[in-house]
Amino acid sequence: MSDYIVEMKHITKRFPGIVANDDVSIGIKKGEIFALLGENGAGKSTLMSILSGMYEPDEGEVYIRGEKVQISSPNHAAKLNIGMVHQHFKLVPDYTITENIILGIEPMKRFAGIFPYVDIQSANRKIEELSKSFGLEVDPKKRITDLTVSMQQRVEILKVLYREAEILIFDEPTAVLTPQEIEFLLDIIEGLRQGGKTIILITHKLDEIKKVADRCAVLNKGKLIDVLDVKETSTNYMAQLMVGREVSFESAKTPAQMKDEVLKVENLTVKNEDGFEVVKDVSFSIRGGEIFAIAGVADNGQVEIADAIAGLTKVSSGKILLNEQDITDERIRKRTEAGISYIPEDRQSVGLILDFDVATNLALKQYYKEPFSRNGILNKEEFDQFGNRLIEKYDIRSGQGIQTQVRSMSGGNQQKAIIAREIELQSPLMIFVQPTRGVDIGAIENIHKMMIQERDKGKAILLVSLELDEIMDVADTIGVIYNGRLQKVASSESLTKNEVGEYMMGAKHG
Amino acid sequence: MDKDKRKLNLSKIIFKPIRNEKWQPITIPVVSIVISFIAAAIVILLIGKNPLQAFYNLLQGAGIMPKPAYAGYKSMLTDFLSLLNAMTPLVFASLAVAVALKAGLFNIGVSGQMLVSGFIATIIVGYSGLDAIIAKPLVLVVGFITGGLVGGLVGWLKYRFNINEVVSTIMLNYTAQYIISFFIQMYYIDPLSRQSKYVSEEARLTLVNVEMANLKMDIPLGFILAIVVAILLKFLLDRTVVGYEIKAVGANRKAAKFAGINVGKNMVLAMVISGGLAGLAGVTYYLGYYASIQPKVLSSMGFDSIAVSLLGNIHPIGIIFSSFLVSIIDQGSTYMSSQAGIRQEIASVIIGLILLFSACGAYLKHKASQLKEKNVDRKERRS
Ligand SMILES: Nc1ncnc2c1ncn2[C@@H]1O[C@H](COP(=O)(O)OP(=O)(O)OP(=O)(O)O)[C@@H](O)[C@H]1O
Ligand SMILES: [Mg+2]
Repeated sequence: MSDYIVEMKHITKRFPGIVANDDVSIGIKKGEIFALLGENGAGKSTLMSILSGMYEPDEGEVYIRGEKVQISSPNHAAKLNIGMVHQHFKLVPDYTITENIILGIEPMKRFAGIFPYVDIQSANRKIEELSKSFGLEVDPKKRITDLTVSMQQRVEILKVLYREAEILIFDEPTAVLTPQEIEFLLDIIEGLRQGGKTIILITHKLDEIKKVADRCAVLNKGKLIDVLDVKETSTNYMAQLMVGREVSFESAKTPAQMKDEVLKVENLTVKNEDGFEVVKDVSFSIRGGEIFAIAGVADNGQVEIADAIAGLTKVSSGKILLNEQDITDERIRKRTEAGISYIPEDRQSVGLILDFDVATNLALKQYYKEPFSRNGILNKEEFDQFGNRLIEKYDIRSGQGIQTQVRSMSGGNQQKAIIAREIELQSPLMIFVQPTRGVDIGAIENIHKMMIQERDKGKAILLVSLELDEIMDVADTIGVIYNGRLQKVASSESLTKNEVGEYMMGAKHG
Repeated sequence: MDKDKRKLNLSKIIFKPIRNEKWQPITIPVVSIVISFIAAAIVILLIGKNPLQAFYNLLQGAGIMPKPAYAGYKSMLTDFLSLLNAMTPLVFASLAVAVALKAGLFNIGVSGQMLVSGFIATIIVGYSGLDAIIAKPLVLVVGFITGGLVGGLVGWLKYRFNINEVVSTIMLNYTAQYIISFFIQMYYIDPLSRQSKYVSEEARLTLVNVEMANLKMDIPLGFILAIVVAILLKFLLDRTVVGYEIKAVGANRKAAKFAGINVGKNMVLAMVISGGLAGLAGVTYYLGYYASIQPKVLSSMGFDSIAVSLLGNIHPIGIIFSSFLVSIIDQGSTYMSSQAGIRQEIASVIIGLILLFSACGAYLKHKASQLKEKNVDRKERRS
């Protein structure tokens, strides 16, 4: 018997056109936090899906607590006390938290000793206790649709804990969280470890690994490169090992050469579905050759501003001018043609059609125009050529090239596909909402480079990001939003990171 | 243990062929059909008859295999033409369901749309005394437009007031059925047959009792059109901007909106096309296969077409094949019951089974991917 609680030996997993895991062997000790690092499409999610029973390996063996097992389903994994919190949540939106958590293992009782029914009451109680004991407070009777992303994640974690998991796998849990929420989650993870659990953590953020992980495995193109002791390794070295080259964490940016005004937003007010003002009287403008970033804590109205400009949300008052043309009430297509590219926050449900292939998705904003179609007839060859060109140019990795169904692509590569599509539009205004969410550090560097490149071509760029570092790094102008109001607009040189932070918390005005 | 093993082998036989995802669009329907025929064979065995004999009779009745003897002016060819005659409206109806499904809409009102179109074409053209050369095309045009309008109304209600299309189509089914029945009984009734008066030969889309080579044949003109329309529809969905938009709306409404596609317009458009196709089904049924309308009866074809569409994988060409198969069973059943002494209801059972299994395609797919897991479980228990 070895001292590993999980051992994966010589795991190979092939998908059509790609080897997702290539002879990977790792061992994980009981009670440690083990990190997985690797580029987009390196095979991290696949490897962990094998451990959690979603996929079966083509070759190789898995040992749990020294015993050889063949994990055939997520239920089987649960029996072995393995649970996974997925990159893309798997919750039923119309169900309550409790209903989601007990789904499949409902506690049954019999009414009058005969008629079976689900004992929701006791489940509610149990979940409340569970959530308290791990510091994951939730209201079990709430519906998933009414929850924020970070709350939904808590539900996923509770789901795993409810099934008495001892080995918890987190697939990019922090990609969807705000910096504050990340702090909180890392504390929770640390707490779970102290409670005796074993944790496997997939993340692209090296500082998170540095902060909580004990050891870290690095994957590249399906192969295991090395397993590192985190305490003794610098983040620079980790990055280098993972990408296969030196990564610079700061973008080499020349001063902005600002041109004419491209976007002007005047007294913009936006209401949400409940009639509540989420954007209040916001005015700003962006010039060609300028990167304007909106900094703020999540849910302070920044996404709604972007949606309003792109036409996805109705404006309740105010004006939006693009190249001096009033587009406040224009339809989405008109705005796109007037010159707006938009990388939306939610890539899976808004940015992509998951059941379509890569080529079709890359042409989503241009299919109706020449040369993609003529007289209403599509030109498939053009779709293919365009797709192949973008795959090459933006390094979008997948098993079967342009024919790959987008659903099967790794999360980061889905994001890259959207970015490729929108930048290719070459619009005078480009809106980037959380563009680097879920992409690896090499790709982040590339995306930042591309943003600056487009800026230097004279494009106006609106960046919405929760990552202050990203904003400080690439923005020329920073607007800080708090509670739907722009608190401060100033050039990035004139602001320190701390000051921006204070405006973000509403602690400073003006 | 032994029983377990046998069970596993059985599932292996069933699911192995559908493991390859690339071929699943073809293998799943084929396996569904095979399973349903096995189930039907068991039913026939249970009532003490020979299933192979019965299936052979079915083919004979449908004009696929020769019968030992034919009545005067009849042959295998005339039987086969009757088969095509019956199949024509089914193809249109199933295409109607398919287009709506592609846009993410469930048109279960095909029967009602068929009835309205059939009725309007009957009173406008069927009783008009126009020449064949004008009347026949006009029947098609009137059928398509009428169906399209009804379908469009459903789409518009959905888009404008967010009324679920399942609800509105079912209500329209009832409305059409009773209103039309009222008009037929008031104005167009044939007192002997208790149905609407027959439409003129000129307006009818099936040429009946055409004498040729000493045979009397029914020639379904609409059949050629059905094949052409299926091919056109395939082209529309795969190769045109309209098809791209309809499919995008069906696959992800939010993303379609984000891409600048007018979601409402495309839902209405898809329902217009769906209703129009249902209209063509209506005229080839009420002014082709039949020449009159029975009051107060809604054709079951509109409902069968949902399953036929699924069996054909919601693919226009696949639908031609699935319609062909279901029509064979439908048409052959009379002969089967007279020859093999099996009640005609058994044929309905077989069709029911096929339709049932066709709807289970998704389940089969799921099972196929699970099979591997079962194998593993077994290995584990052994070791
Ligand atoms: N179900 C599937 N079908 C086909 N290919 C797949 C499937 N799942 C994953 N792949 C492919 O396997 C490779 C590895 O994917 P995986 O999701 O494991 O990457 P990852 O390391 O998690 O990347 P990311 O950081 O972007 O999430 C990718 O190229 C992906 O396209
Ligand atoms: Mg992943």
